[in-house]
Amino acid sequence: MPSAGLVFQSVILGLLLGGLYALLAAGLTLYFGIMRVVMIAHSAFLILAAYLAWWSHERLGTDPLLSMIVTVPLFFGAGVLLQRLLLSRLRPITLTMMSVLLTFAVALIIEGLLGYAFTGTQRRIQLSYGSASIGLFGARIAVVKLIAFGLAVVALGGLYLLMKKTTFGWALRATIQHGDAARLVGIDTGKVAGYGFGLGLATAAVGGTALSLDTTIYPSLHWHWIGPLMAIIVVGGLGSVPGAAAAAVLLGLMQSLLQIPMGTTWAQTIFYLALFATLAFRPQGFFGGRLAQRF
Amino acid sequence: MRSSLRRTRWATALAATTVLALGACSDDGDGAESTDDPIVVGISLPLTGDFSEPGKGVQEGYEAWAKITNDKGGLLGRQIELKILDDQSNADRVVADYEQLIGSDKVDLVVGPFSTRLVVPSARVAEEYGMLFVEPAGAAKEVFEQGFKNLFYAAPAVANDHYNHLAEYLIAMPADQRPKTVAYAAMDDPFAQGTAYGLKAKLEAAGFKTVVDEVYPPNTTDFGSIAAKIAASKADMLVGGSQYQDGVNLIVALQQLSYQPKLAAFSGAPTNPEFAKAIGDKTEGVLSPTGYTPGAPYESNKEFVEKFKAQFGKEPEEDQANAYTTGQVVAAAVTAAGCAEQGDCQKKLVDWVHANKVETVVGPLTWDAAGKPQGAHMIQQWLGGSIKIVLPAPVKEADLLYPKPAW
Amino acid sequence: MPSASRRVLTGLGLAALAAAVLSFPSLAPNPYILSAGIVVLNFAVLSTSWNFVGGFTGYISLGHGALAGLGGYGTALLITRAGLPSFVALAVATLLVAALAVPIGLAALRVRGASFVIVSIALVLILLLVFQSWAAVTGGSRGLVVPRPFPGLLRPEHHRVFYYLFAALLALALLAWWLIDRSRFGLGLKAIREDEDKAEAIGTPTLAYKLIVFVVSAGFTALAGGLYALWFGDLDPVFQFSILTGSYLVLMALLGGVRNLFGPFTGALIVGVALEYFKGRFGNTPLHLVWTGVLLGVVVMFMPDGILPALGGLWRRLRRAEQSSIREVTAAELREEREREEARQ
Repeated sequence: MPSAGLVFQSVILGLLLGGLYALLAAGLTLYFGIMRVVMIAHSAFLILAAYLAWWSHERLGTDPLLSMIVTVPLFFGAGVLLQRLLLSRLRPITLTMMSVLLTFAVALIIEGLLGYAFTGTQRRIQLSYGSASIGLFGARIAVVKLIAFGLAVVALGGLYLLMKKTTFGWALRATIQHGDAARLVGIDTGKVAGYGFGLGLATAAVGGTALSLDTTIYPSLHWHWIGPLMAIIVVGGLGSVPGAAAAAVLLGLMQSLLQIPMGTTWAQTIFYLALFATLAFRPQGFFGGRLAQRF
Repeated sequence: MRSSLRRTRWATALAATTVLALGACSDDGDGAESTDDPIVVGISLPLTGDFSEPGKGVQEGYEAWAKITNDKGGLLGRQIELKILDDQSNADRVVADYEQLIGSDKVDLVVGPFSTRLVVPSARVAEEYGMLFVEPAGAAKEVFEQGFKNLFYAAPAVANDHYNHLAEYLIAMPADQRPKTVAYAAMDDPFAQGTAYGLKAKLEAAGFKTVVDEVYPPNTTDFGSIAAKIAASKADMLVGGSQYQDGVNLIVALQQLSYQPKLAAFSGAPTNPEFAKAIGDKTEGVLSPTGYTPGAPYESNKEFVEKFKAQFGKEPEEDQANAYTTGQVVAAAVTAAGCAEQGDCQKKLVDWVHANKVETVVGPLTWDAAGKPQGAHMIQQWLGGSIKIVLPAPVKEADLLYPKPAW
Repeated sequence: MPSASRRVLTGLGLAALAAAVLSFPSLAPNPYILSAGIVVLNFAVLSTSWNFVGGFTGYISLGHGALAGLGGYGTALLITRAGLPSFVALAVATLLVAALAVPIGLAALRVRGASFVIVSIALVLILLLVFQSWAAVTGGSRGLVVPRPFPGLLRPEHHRVFYYLFAALLALALLAWWLIDRSRFGLGLKAIREDEDKAEAIGTPTLAYKLIVFVVSAGFTALAGGLYALWFGDLDPVFQFSILTGSYLVLMALLGGVRNLFGPFTGALIVGVALEYFKGRFGNTPLHLVWTGVLLGVVVMFMPDGILPALGGLWRRLRRAEQSSIREVTAAELREEREREEARQ
């Protein structure tokens, strides 16, 4: 029943969306890998970054992409502080549960402050190229969506190189894989964990900027991102960055395609169905990730 | 066991303190009303949360009504005092608010909140305490199916009748010229959906083919997939049951896909002052129903627009006008009944509104037994950079442009 | 103190508490205060229900709001669609939700910690989507009207009846919690909380235990949700299936103290009053969210055991004579303490 053109267009939209999901899920995966923390506030930071991009565009007239010069280092620092000052002080035995509540509190605070500063009005950046698009075999690709996708790819690629090619990446991976052993070989796991958190939050800054290019933002929007992102990291296998990326692209694609027959609301349920299916049949996730079995 | 005993004691002490504290919080308003006392009007509005932005318009309308009325000497010689509580865009709170306004603050009158979703729960409170309940926002037809006897919607028409004039116009067009296929996209909200589906029912009955019928949740921010479906259908006509931002997002997403309908109508968005800028000034030909224009020829409207501008520095829009209308209806009832307090007076007010016609800024209003207004909305269209009334014919400022130019 | 006089004192304390709760309707100066009391009692029941899982097993669910929503919608739909009498519908809905809790529990409890939280969040979100979209049955965004169980009652009387119903439900939930707390079953659950692997090693059927207590918790939650629906009269998916509701329950239980029978009740009183206060204090700004967040953060960081144990500790310190009776410290707490020390270094 749906025409080939519509399916092709939906595939493109799904892939573009999946790219953004992948970037955002990467941050969540990092936190979980480093210290088994489910970071509820990740998407609140995402919306914060989007607001900062919107605000700089509105007030200073600069391109929203430039806001990353400030937000990326800022978020990195916030991540380090969040880990060092708050999360590392929780009791290890109840860390996973309590960190959920603590980051939930952080999310509430961010939402409240955003509402206080910018009111509940829905905002959208008006760009001169906002409605521009390029053709591809009969389908259209919006320029802003392409930029957002490009940002996601660049950020994910950078993250990959950082993890694989640098000493810090080596230490971070060691901390994720076996904290005690990493300490034994002289890695300052506390410090590395802090930087890892900073890195995760920095991805939220990039993701938020990408998000702000083509969607509306409002303070309580972060609740609608939490669910899909949580589902992605479980389906991808908790703690596995490539797994999360694969799950993100796949689920983004499925959501986009399912919208054709099912409509917007029902299509969103795919995330949760995939989540329940994963936990019922393959708790370690569908894309590697060996941590999940026990968590 | 010892420690659990102490816990029990603590809990008891705490419970007792809280009970006392709660009890002490309430001030017992004295029932005796002297003529110098202000008439307190209780309102619950979404000052924070998801409905807070559109809720602001309603607040301004109420404030304008109180000020304009007070400047003229008030009602029954008494000043009007608004008591506004924040419902945080939440149904539990809106009920608690009216419960507080009526039971604890002992206000003399209550008027309605904002957003259809909150009207039904709050109207039930007012109904059960026997209060007159005129409201500016509950336009969905479900509001009038609850058997409320004290509820009145202060606007010309309910959501499903907003597009009536457009439907008549399209059906009257010669068969070879009129749009054949229609795409509908509506927000999952009783008001927004009501507007689109009211038109859909009429057009389908007249043989217009529905090719897309999409409903999206209010939190939707990415309209790419919905736009893709509409674009692929190549519908001649597009109907958006939208509020503001979702309408803009949908239009931008459709522009990205280079979709060009011959006719496009959106319920909430095009009347917003920022609409033109938001979609890159490609507004020409976009249609929208409205229950109010600042230029409307009704007697009280001139005063309203003038004084509203002086108070807020801008022209009033539909939400402001509806709230003001609510005030006008209540004021008319109070003046006629000669009273404004809880108790038997409320019954007199309700009976009066049921039996009479009220002149307001949106025209003369009358209601059926369920409190449903008996009118229709005007249709406006963007023409040459501003929005003009094109339907119905007797009040039109310009002719309807069809097909609409590309956006 | 001899145990007989202790029992007398406990009895007196309970009687005073019951008297305070039961005399509230006659003390309340107007129906609004009475309805505020119902809201607090509802929170207290929900939070105590949550504490069956949270307190005994240490599994933190942010999704209990969804179970209450299911109870509410189940009750409403059984009345309007199946024509059942109100309180029969409430009972049937409770049983249905408890039955539904079995597969949900199986999916969620097989995995530990993080995944459980994620599943509980997902539960709220998927139910929100379903109840919004399936408008033909649930009414969707148009809402669902629940017929009044006592159509003849005036609103203040209606409040009064429901106040006592909620108080009875609270007593029932507290009794159930107390019974489990003292039972062998409760001991097994607490073993899971302290160290799930060891509990399993010594032969505790951990999954079965967790599942049973989850189902009990879901049943009480649904009962409270259904009763609330009968009282409130209007359901809307957006407000029934909200993560915020679930988080308030956690905040209340944690604030009062999850290991205490009266912890969640105390928390509900404090948070209920605090929410009112924040709303009054910050009026038309969303700062009330900020302060709720701060309150939650402070509780998590500085008194994860809750206010009742903290006050209990203070009480003991004031009465130096009894210093020898300091609460026994479990092995797990000692280890925790040690690990914390290590982490600081």
